[in-house]
Amino acid sequence: MWLPLVVVMLSCVAEQRGSGAERVRRTGVLTWGADAQGGEPYAMEDPDAPGGMRGFEVELAEALARELGVRSRFYQNDWSNLIPSLERGSFDIALNGIEVTPARSGRVLFTRPYYLFHLRLMARANDATVTGMESLRGRRVGTLANSQAWDQLQGAGVQAVPYEGVEEPYIDLEQGRLDAVLMDDIIAQRYGMPRAALRVVGDVGEGYYAIALRPGDESLREELDAALGRIARSGELRAIFQRWGIDNPTEQRMVEWTDAQTRELLSTTRAPRLGWGQLWLFLQASVVTLLVSVGAMVLAVPLGMALSLSRLYGPAWLGRLATLYVELFRGTPVLLQLYVLYYGLAGILRLDAVSAAILGLGLNYAAYEAEVYRAGVLSVPRGQFEAALALGMNTRLALRRVVMPQAFRVALPGMTNDFIALLKDSSLVSVISVVELTKRMTITAVDVRSWLLPGALCAALYLAMSYPLSRLARRLEARLERG
Amino acid sequence: MIEVKDLCKRYDGRTVLDGIDATFQTGEVVALVGPSGGGKSTLLRCLNGLEPFDGGSIRIGNDVLEPGRVRAGGGRVCELRRRVGFVFQQWHLFAHRTALGNVIEAPIHVRGLGVKDATELGRALLDKVGLSHREGAYPFELSGGEQQRVAIARALAMEPEALLLDEPTSALDPERVGSLVSLLARLRDDGLTLVAVTHEMRFARELASRVLVLHGGRILEEGPPDQVLDQPRHERTRAFLGLGQVSPPSRVVPSLGLGRTGVAPVFPAASAGE
Repeated sequence: MWLPLVVVMLSCVAEQRGSGAERVRRTGVLTWGADAQGGEPYAMEDPDAPGGMRGFEVELAEALARELGVRSRFYQNDWSNLIPSLERGSFDIALNGIEVTPARSGRVLFTRPYYLFHLRLMARANDATVTGMESLRGRRVGTLANSQAWDQLQGAGVQAVPYEGVEEPYIDLEQGRLDAVLMDDIIAQRYGMPRAALRVVGDVGEGYYAIALRPGDESLREELDAALGRIARSGELRAIFQRWGIDNPTEQRMVEWTDAQTRELLSTTRAPRLGWGQLWLFLQASVVTLLVSVGAMVLAVPLGMALSLSRLYGPAWLGRLATLYVELFRGTPVLLQLYVLYYGLAGILRLDAVSAAILGLGLNYAAYEAEVYRAGVLSVPRGQFEAALALGMNTRLALRRVVMPQAFRVALPGMTNDFIALLKDSSLVSVISVVELTKRMTITAVDVRSWLLPGALCAALYLAMSYPLSRLARRLEARLERG
Repeated sequence: MIEVKDLCKRYDGRTVLDGIDATFQTGEVVALVGPSGGGKSTLLRCLNGLEPFDGGSIRIGNDVLEPGRVRAGGGRVCELRRRVGFVFQQWHLFAHRTALGNVIEAPIHVRGLGVKDATELGRALLDKVGLSHREGAYPFELSGGEQQRVAIARALAMEPEALLLDEPTSALDPERVGSLVSLLARLRDDGLTLVAVTHEMRFARELASRVLVLHGGRILEEGPPDQVLDQPRHERTRAFLGLGQVSPPSRVVPSLGLGRTGVAPVFPAASAGE
């Protein structure tokens, strides 16, 4: 099991050998990492040429490679993990709307910026109370996790809600689950502004996209800076922007950009550390994890019991319905179910994120519980049920007094197992913007550029929740064994 | 009194009961004998509504069971079952309850007795079957004979008019058969109707006032045990009993020590705990 890991690590080391420019020239390829899920207009899969890519950053990467006399090659990578992947050597440069922030400047090398963006605040058209950042104090504002907007919201006294995708925050804003969305203008223009129910409040800040490199690749940065300058001055850069509809007069600053400006932009750096404040956030996230897990289990247990009894003792049609439920919820990814429940049914079912998380996981786990109980009930000999009937009990009483208590004893280890699995599966609800323990860990890890300490803290908190539970279950089993 | 009229039951296209007519009088002890697959156990289970049937009727007091009205856990059948106890071949004691817990479960939850009254009743019944010293034991801690006695006490706790026993001797060694017989004799003397499926001819001879021979889903013959068991009229009965073709009943069947009206058990294990 360790061998492939070692091989991967060694190959990364091998890839890093040699300074940046020399390495790129030797291999003849400039590898760049981006997330195709980020979508228009950055970099995305070409619908007309499956496997191919299009977007303004694709064109930029191609132009830069041309200037360097090499080819460009795209590497798919989750946006929020572009920097860690860059650091471990997965590609030469990260080029995907990466904003220059003091935290990132302290961590990676940046080229001169290639695009000036504005942070655009949007709200519902019928909500006149949102007039600017001050009006949002204590209210829910959505944005991409670990983006510049995210950093800006942290200091603004609002309740920042992190998202993975660019479409979802606007859906939630329409649904009233958010009070406002703060995103880069390029994103707002494509995903927010076409929605008739939303309005632009205004631009509340600006920032720059730049190309990120590993420290040590200064030579490659110099060549890229020079190449960017050439492309900008020749008019090619703004031509690319125009093709993608993201050009505006302020982009002229990119053309006239100087090295002195680059130095000034990159001079403020910040190296965030894991502090007591972070620990407090981790504890809060643990409470969310526990709340979602317990809530889902409280829903799953009675529903699962009803499903298993329907299959075993109900009329044929009800049994078939229960079977269909179990197969449907067990046979499709819970991630998909959460998405459908929260975003897909948003128009019909108005749920806040935590309720949707509890409902989604509860409905899913009910399918598993149903099978655990069914196994439990089937393990009770038929004679026990008949003996109860022979004493004049009706079916319900016989199940309640005789079959279920014995089935419970058999089902208990499986239930404990499921609950602990649920505790960890609850991390999936971050896709519907619930910040639970794993999400908190990811945000912090990306922020402090280390996965080790946040990871260990996260693991310790999960264990602190699950271990007492296993102990409790074991004691309960021992008590049931005695009678 | 239990009255069975033209009882028919098919299972998978095979006729298991083929027009049974029988009456079980109050206070009577009836042994159902016959070759395996003859329908004895099925008939017994029908009497308690555990087995649905396809034709005929069963009248118990004023209640009548008819096809289509027998549902495993239906209300009417439940009512009837309280009056007819059933002791399974494998006893089926509730595995999660103690001996006393087994006995008081139904009195509390079906008859609605208070816990205190039910416990009093349960202790008296365990005493009656000679197991008062085992009331805290779980089924897996009890021997076969002890489990059977708990099962009998459990059935008696519903104060039934009749008790149905499925092969009560099959899991007992001969010594314990004796103590079971003496226990059942006492219940009979208390006025309880007993119907038992048995392969143990000595059991039938010692305890039964009447023997029914079932074969192929029909009653082949019936009568007092000495007549049916010693001088069967039907050839099939003779074969089943292992008697010769032409036969005076010359075989000496060893007595279990109980006369037809006998009271005093002579078995060493009869009243001692097992």
